[in-house]
Amino acid sequence: MKKLAFLVVCLAFVATNALAEINTKKAEAFIEKLTTDGIEELVNSNASKAVKQEKFRKLFNEDLDLDFIGKFVLGRYWRTATPTQQKDFLDAYRELNIQTWSARFDEFKGKTFEFQNVTPSTSQDQVFVNTIVDMKNGQQPAKVVWRVRQKGETFKVVDIIIENVSLAISARNEYAGYIKANGLDALIKDLQTRAKKS
Amino acid sequence: MLTKRCMTLAVVLGVCFSAGVVRADIPVENEDKFEGFNRAMFGFNMTLDEYVLEPLAKGYRAITNQYVRDRVSGVLSNIVEPVSAVNHLLQGDVVKSGQNIGRFALNSTLGLLGMYDVAGGGWHLAPAKTNFDETLATWCVKDGPYLVFPVLGMNTMRSFSGEIVDGFANPLYIATYGDSNINAKVLYPYAGLVMISKREKSIEFIDSFKQSSVDLYAISRSAFLQNRKKMARCGVVEESATPDYDFDFDVEE
Repeated sequence: MKKLAFLVVCLAFVATNALAEINTKKAEAFIEKLTTDGIEELVNSNASKAVKQEKFRKLFNEDLDLDFIGKFVLGRYWRTATPTQQKDFLDAYRELNIQTWSARFDEFKGKTFEFQNVTPSTSQDQVFVNTIVDMKNGQQPAKVVWRVRQKGETFKVVDIIIENVSLAISARNEYAGYIKANGLDALIKDLQTRAKKS
Repeated sequence: MLTKRCMTLAVVLGVCFSAGVVRADIPVENEDKFEGFNRAMFGFNMTLDEYVLEPLAKGYRAITNQYVRDRVSGVLSNIVEPVSAVNHLLQGDVVKSGQNIGRFALNSTLGLLGMYDVAGGGWHLAPAKTNFDETLATWCVKDGPYLVFPVLGMNTMRSFSGEIVDGFANPLYIATYGDSNINAKVLYPYAGLVMISKREKSIEFIDSFKQSSVDLYAISRSAFLQNRKKMARCGVVEESATPDYDFDFDVEE
């Protein structure tokens, strides 16, 4: 009887892990919608900079898990940070990213995303959606990979990897050295100033 | 017996799935042995950029339109097409080498010296760039230390060696070889135009980084080194060159 109970537990364990697997088709559809909304309706529109930034804010808050990214970016410093520091960092990091990325997305103006495939990641609730952007004029196409995380029925982007450069890893490497030299409070202050300036 | 097997299975599965919450260290930061020197050089290059290259790039943008700039960059990339052809051959990729030769032949003639990418259009010969750095990677040559050179910027020992070899293989260098007078008159303006054209394309990109980055040196190094990881090592193209680090961490949500 005990053996049977163990077997049941084992099977249940395997079953729950299988169920927890991310829906790749939905993940791809989510990125397709994001790029369509972001590029075709926002970047290619003739709206003013302020209007565009507001729309981006909405898009970013809905589709990007900036809290999750922010925690990854702080790495081990996240655990030693006080709740106030954590909140202040996430607020400043989110604001700065919204501003930087609404400007950076303009680079995709007139470009189209070609969807290639979806590949697994080391984290079971996350996948990579692989896309190629036609850069036109005889230039090599750019590889843009979206790291998508599924939580319940919602999908969120947790990293964007352009030509093998991960935004999250880049920021993590950048901030780690800065915190080591100047402390977390200095970083938060610096990010706040930068977010206000742009 | 069954219990024991089941426990082993549970342990193995547990290890497999909980591996998702073990944070992996990201090695990029530890690859900079000469950080002091590199930071100084980076600072020097940024000053040079601010006073020379950036104003030149902005000036270039002011006196040309996108159409003209596209033609210029088409000609510039057509010049180095044979360099890619040779390197693809050295990497054992005959198909891509042929692609480069075809592109060079078509774009140099029908495409008016590369102003128009006719090969990529109607002839379906897509751009396929490579360089000696990549050839060395195919030959299993290690990357070497990360180094920032004055003017030439971010490099590793291997990418720097690659640039030098590609420079000697440049058709303009070969065509003007032996005549130091013409050589200087052609190569200096060419090198200058390559730098200005490249810098013009990244005006917004660099501005945005200057604005948002708390440590421009660190983020540039990180991006540069990550980008290099996509190169095929020892001729083996990794199935997925996507940085697959662990994206979970032991924090409560």
